[in-house]
Amino acid sequence: MKGKCYIQGMAAISPQHTFEGDLLSQPMAVTQGNMLSCVEPDYRAFIAPNSLRRMTRVLKMGLAASLKCLQESGVAVPGAIVTGTGKGSLQDTERFIKEIRDFEERALNPTPFIQSTYNAVNGLIALQQKCTQYNNTFVHRGFSFEHALLDSMLLLSEGKPDVLAGAFDEITTEHFFIKSRIGHWKQETIASDTLYEHVSPGTISGEGAAFFLLTPTATAQSYAQLGGLQMLYKPSPEKLHTALGQFLAQHGVQPEDIDLVLSGANADSNHLHYYDVLNSYALNTQLPFKHLCGDYETAGAFALWLGAAILKQQQVPAQWFPMLKEQPRKLQHILIYNHFFGEQHSFMLLHKVS
Amino acid sequence: MEELKQKLKVQIIEALNLQDTRPEDIDDNAPLFGDGLGLDSIDSLELMVLLERYYHIKVEDPREGRKILQSVQSMAEFIQSKQPA
Repeated sequence: MKGKCYIQGMAAISPQHTFEGDLLSQPMAVTQGNMLSCVEPDYRAFIAPNSLRRMTRVLKMGLAASLKCLQESGVAVPGAIVTGTGKGSLQDTERFIKEIRDFEERALNPTPFIQSTYNAVNGLIALQQKCTQYNNTFVHRGFSFEHALLDSMLLLSEGKPDVLAGAFDEITTEHFFIKSRIGHWKQETIASDTLYEHVSPGTISGEGAAFFLLTPTATAQSYAQLGGLQMLYKPSPEKLHTALGQFLAQHGVQPEDIDLVLSGANADSNHLHYYDVLNSYALNTQLPFKHLCGDYETAGAFALWLGAAILKQQQVPAQWFPMLKEQPRKLQHILIYNHFFGEQHSFMLLHKVS
Repeated sequence: MEELKQKLKVQIIEALNLQDTRPEDIDDNAPLFGDGLGLDSIDSLELMVLLERYYHIKVEDPREGRKILQSVQSMAEFIQSKQPA
């Protein structure tokens, strides 16, 4: 793809203390149980009380993260708003469906219906910022965020001066139960910091919202350059191996140039073997990130936030990675490899801004 | 009538999630929209649903709705007018 893509500003709300922004000083938040929930900020600093009262959780998370991202970037009205979500507002969807049943399809409240639509967060951002530019939400399960990112990169290459790209997903008790019935979560209850000691079927659930202000040129403030993105649907391990080699070569990077790999390995024995591809190349330090955010469709957005933050800080937050033996010698290139329950696989390549 | 207005205030607060408002903060005659409680068009739909759910009254004509939803007083009077004698 012609043109470049830089992360000019970003913000994340996650099960970690990410909203505060100071990566190195925040302790790791550990959840006792298999359902990780976000550490939510005080939304009143970002959203008017009269609007806040109607919003459900993921709407508040998405809107606050996007507004903080724009604030940090010094951009009020972005050239486009592009997001991805696997499930949209689950709370609103559940409420709307329950009301259909309880009131026999009559006297239905409009708010949960309006807010259950996937593009509700984009609409709120556009309204708040008076942005009438391109506005799109991708809902493609484990590719939702990656498709939003690809669209954003295409928009930049077509000449947009900046794009607000992001992702948001939440977990509810009811949805956790539904997904537990198809084996998404571990049977045994674990603490999130011990995830990798429990290799067994299923993983732990998570949620989060992350937003990025992407621009075609770098400044001294830029976090990182997003050098490459590739998606693969249900690849065989052989195809995955070939694709990774080609992906790195295509972007002029040798496996040994990668200083850090952030992997979506999640101790799910059903799909863990895919991550063996990372061992088949001479890649340096590999760190898993799902103990920090849990698993959900748009966990890749958390990984991108984490990778970009590490590149800017030029340091891995050691308190979040007990498995880290030593800091990488240098931090120039970071590879992110993630997949969603073995189906949607993605590679992202980040470079330090020189 | 007083009892109905009190009940309505509690139901409005709950339906619209008016977190920092107590029933006694709502004046019977204060406008619900604009200067009063500062409600908007989505809230008006929510209040229509409230009338249907709790009082089984369906407001078909939007122009009529505007008059009914002026204040707690006007809502209570409307509900009372629809109650069987």
